[in-house]
Amino acid sequence: MSKAPIIFIIVSLLLTIGYAIYSVASAMALVSIGVIVVNILLAVVLAVGLTPVFVWWERRVAGLIQDRLGPNRCHIGGFRLGGVIQSIADMLKLVFKEDFTPSFIKYKFLFTLAPGIVFICYFLTFGVIPFADNIVLDGISHQMQALPMNIGIMWFIAFAGLSVYGIILGGYASQSKFGLLGSIRASAQVISYEAAMGLSLISMLLTYGSIHLNDMVVAQGDLLFGFIPAWGIFMQPLACIIFIVTVFAETNRAPFDLAEGESEIVAGYHTEYSAMRFGLFQVSEFAAMSGGAAIIVTIFFGGYQVPYLNTEALKEHISIILMVLMVVVPLSLVMFTGWIKKNNVWPDKNDIRFRETAILVKIFLGMAFSLFVLLAYLAFTGLSANGTSIAVTILQVATFLTKFFMMVLVFMWVRWTLLRIRYDQLQMLGWKILLPLSLLNIIITATVIVVGQ
Amino acid sequence: MGIKVVKRHGSSLKDKLYLPAIFGGMKTTFKHFSKNLKDTSKIISMSYPEVQPADITDNYRGVHRLTKWDDGSEKCVACYMCATACPAECIFIEAEERFDDKAEKRPTAFSIDLLECVYCGYCVEACPCDAIRMDTGIFSFVASKRSDFLVDKEYLMNNERGKDFPND
Repeated sequence: MSKAPIIFIIVSLLLTIGYAIYSVASAMALVSIGVIVVNILLAVVLAVGLTPVFVWWERRVAGLIQDRLGPNRCHIGGFRLGGVIQSIADMLKLVFKEDFTPSFIKYKFLFTLAPGIVFICYFLTFGVIPFADNIVLDGISHQMQALPMNIGIMWFIAFAGLSVYGIILGGYASQSKFGLLGSIRASAQVISYEAAMGLSLISMLLTYGSIHLNDMVVAQGDLLFGFIPAWGIFMQPLACIIFIVTVFAETNRAPFDLAEGESEIVAGYHTEYSAMRFGLFQVSEFAAMSGGAAIIVTIFFGGYQVPYLNTEALKEHISIILMVLMVVVPLSLVMFTGWIKKNNVWPDKNDIRFRETAILVKIFLGMAFSLFVLLAYLAFTGLSANGTSIAVTILQVATFLTKFFMMVLVFMWVRWTLLRIRYDQLQMLGWKILLPLSLLNIIITATVIVVGQ
Repeated sequence: MGIKVVKRHGSSLKDKLYLPAIFGGMKTTFKHFSKNLKDTSKIISMSYPEVQPADITDNYRGVHRLTKWDDGSEKCVACYMCATACPAECIFIEAEERFDDKAEKRPTAFSIDLLECVYCGYCVEACPCDAIRMDTGIFSFVASKRSDFLVDKEYLMNNERGKDFPND
């Protein structure tokens, strides 16, 4: 009896949502919905979905840098995928752990809200990253970014700046000394780097003449002096260094992870957090790293541009490029199977983990063969206009991902190389070095632009 | 014997820039990373449960054992010296009279709480009859219940000298 109204409400809600989707879908072409879905999926996967992979990377990179192995044993039926199963196990542990709130916390709402703020802000920074050049399908151009809007870099600055409120709130609401110290450090940190960050971006805006990230990346497809790709790092090396340093500070990673400084203040702002609330802080830390890496790649390392081949060149020479890929991609996959065979070795000859090598080698060889056949087919039969656009977009997304993952690796590499700098040293660096340098850079850039005109 | 003036570091432009030092450090870590990524077999980490450590020396203090006469009876005379010397108070002995020629007393129960034990070896030092030793080479004692860590006389007498140690 009592269930009937609830079922009625649910059904009517579903019908309303269905009708809404249908009416929106009929208004927009199905293709553009497909493009939007692909973009949103890319953003979600890169910002959040890759967290377990990044945790695993972080630990393996740390291990290899310090001549250790890192997590490599955990497996499901012999499949350990290089150790990534370990982070899935860790994730499961965090989900099923008791979510404990200490009794001395008065403002439970704020305490609960804080990780959400950090997470949402870092997650949304990914919305404006262009994954590829505007894709033209059936004569209609679609933007390849999760949130198709033109405010670009402003969106990133706004949300990256907001995220620190979550950290401050989390530490303040924890009502413990360490949490508060962490928050104070975070707020001192944010006032010391944000100015330099914004000013270094202003010199980039002067250079590119646009705040839209896709315009910036298109501008980076040209050549500087005829032989260097016109990437931000070559045009504005000083702004590049300042921006990278401040992004490291922004993402709260070593050498600027003083808000959590585990050797001094336990865990800083997330001392009192446990289970998935702590997990959310952890996820947002990696989301911040992804967002930071993506924005650095987009502004300074040519974004999705393949060096020396901008979108028009890619479209023009697509069949030659496919032929080159037809050889290179399967060959690198075959070499990768060799690496697996060499390194997945266990002392016991009957170890179940040897099965993984056998199966993975077969999978990769199969992939290499089918990619070879597919690319050969495409290269020799030729592509239609839409097919060329899609192929170029896939190539550009792949280029972006390659650069993005390399930048993430740099983040980890720096973390396991440099020491944490002190709280007053960071302020000294921000106010006395980075700020004057970025002002100087703006003056030089503006002068060059004015004289150039 | 003049005064040797050591030049302070950090005053040159190269030091003040920090970046050369940072890139130097990153070069070092990258060398380790790429070398280990190419070939993990050079890393000295052991795959522990499959590979056991081979560098346990014969004076390593492992889990205790009670030594025996040739006929298999215990050497322990239940004098309580070890229990008295024990700083963790983890040795529990119950004594009874012994009627063979070996000694006047023997322990009916001799148990050690391995969770309390700090493996200091004072019991071995205190023993006047060389009846308790810590030379089994057992470095990890695993159990699923707390009560399983209270090992009894039978367990201690069944422990033997570590296989890899030279016999004396």
